[in-house]
Amino acid sequence: MQFIADIRDYPWRNLFAGILPARFQPKTAQLVPSASIAGNALTVVIAIMSFLACLTAGAVYMVNQSAEAWVKDISSEITIELDPVNAADIEKKITLVSLFLAKQAGITHVKPMTAEDSAKLLEPWLGHSEALSALPIPRLIAVEINRSNPPDIKAISEALSQNFEGVTLDDHRQWRTEIRTLTRSAALGGIAVLVLVAAATVAVIVSATRSAMASNREIIEVLHFVGANERFISREFERHFVGLGVRAGIVGAVSAGLVFLLLPSVMHVLGGGPVTATEMSRLVGSGELDLKGYLLCALVVLVVAGLCMITSRVGVIRVLKSYA
Amino acid sequence: MIRFENVGLRYGTGPEILRDVSFHVIPGSFHFLTGPSGAGKTTLLRLLFMSLRPTRGLIFVFGENVSDLSAAGRAELRRRIGIVFQDFRLLDHLTTWENVALPLRVMGKKESDYREDVTDLLRWVGLGDRIDACPEILSGGEKQRAAIARAVIGRPELLLADEPTGNVDPVIADRLLRLFVELNRLGTSVIIATHDYGLMDQLDAPRLVLYEGHLEIR
Repeated sequence: MQFIADIRDYPWRNLFAGILPARFQPKTAQLVPSASIAGNALTVVIAIMSFLACLTAGAVYMVNQSAEAWVKDISSEITIELDPVNAADIEKKITLVSLFLAKQAGITHVKPMTAEDSAKLLEPWLGHSEALSALPIPRLIAVEINRSNPPDIKAISEALSQNFEGVTLDDHRQWRTEIRTLTRSAALGGIAVLVLVAAATVAVIVSATRSAMASNREIIEVLHFVGANERFISREFERHFVGLGVRAGIVGAVSAGLVFLLLPSVMHVLGGGPVTATEMSRLVGSGELDLKGYLLCALVVLVVAGLCMITSRVGVIRVLKSYA
Repeated sequence: MIRFENVGLRYGTGPEILRDVSFHVIPGSFHFLTGPSGAGKTTLLRLLFMSLRPTRGLIFVFGENVSDLSAAGRAELRRRIGIVFQDFRLLDHLTTWENVALPLRVMGKKESDYREDVTDLLRWVGLGDRIDACPEILSGGEKQRAAIARAVIGRPELLLADEPTGNVDPVIADRLLRLFVELNRLGTSVIIATHDYGLMDQLDAPRLVLYEGHLEIR
């Protein structure tokens, strides 16, 4: 019940007023002057922290989205690979294998790929060359499966091995595992960066809180003398830090949003060709954030403001206890 | 209301500033606290106001043993006490009106409920034309009156004042004394620390005399 009473009695109006720049704040709301709390340097530091946090969160989100789409895509397909052991028979074998596959339950579409299609898949690495046609490139059949009623992959694989020489089935399991490992690694790396950014933010706010309290010691004493309790005094400080956190967080988030918006154009200006774009697209999808990604950046702003609020409150109360 | 039992106080390892101080303040009483400079008047007021803890002995404020009180408990009791400091302790970035209204704001009252009361009190202490001025541009006497107004605005049960008429002319001093007496009539206990015998002679009130750390009641 005390918790509910605390929320009900919290001076929300003062807290929101603290978000406004000092010159727009109602004068009577400032028992602790804004100018004595933190200079522009602290705002810049918190803005940089927010920028890094948004950039990290956005990049991890994009990699995750891209990987999810990729996994979804390759999960609904299997690939049949035909070794080019006997080039004369290969076309006939492709037709036979395709007919065999089309009869299996759970397979919705069978698409034999031409020798040119196979060669094109190697172009990003080997370039466009006539020499590719001379290489013994395996031939592929792309098979779409019904995800709601999937075929018995193991039985099909065994049947293909028994009936056709040099024909193997790839259900992309290895790819999926590798993509998931990559996504998890990226997410862990991102979380590590976010934890470091949060720790740095907390350290900066702790230091700024101590400094603000030292420079406002006289005000704190007077507030004590007129009967202010620790909660009242900490609120007077934390509203400044929340305001600072929100303002700096917005600057950081908007800057990060601009980076995500401009990244494809910047790559183009810096000379990134179609191959670079393809690689980028494979790694992080389109390279632009969707709505959820921008909402994630907004969440970072709230987390930064919350960190500022909690850290300053704990800092003020600890210092007040040391005064007692 | 206030009870001191064999209270002693020393700063660090220095000599005792107060020794075996015992006295009792009943509700609605009026006391002067006097003694030579350095006798410990301000220290005794700080003990009364719970901004210092005794080295030995017991202090009861409004029936509570101050040694057992939490920070929140001390803050709660301080709201029932008004204090006037010798050095005023006004906040320079707030206007006179805002300084005086501070105790009510801390109590969580709405500004609309006390706006008129604060203005009326400021007029009464002769600061009606200084409502929007910051303490930096007030004279010593004006600061003194603003500090007194801040101490009494919340109608405290106990008023402590350290040399409250030290910086004002005799007319204003007389007016402030009348304010204290009026508050006392309304039920507030008053303890005024002063050197001013002229002020003390105006009122037939018990005197707590501090001399070399000992307290005597006359």
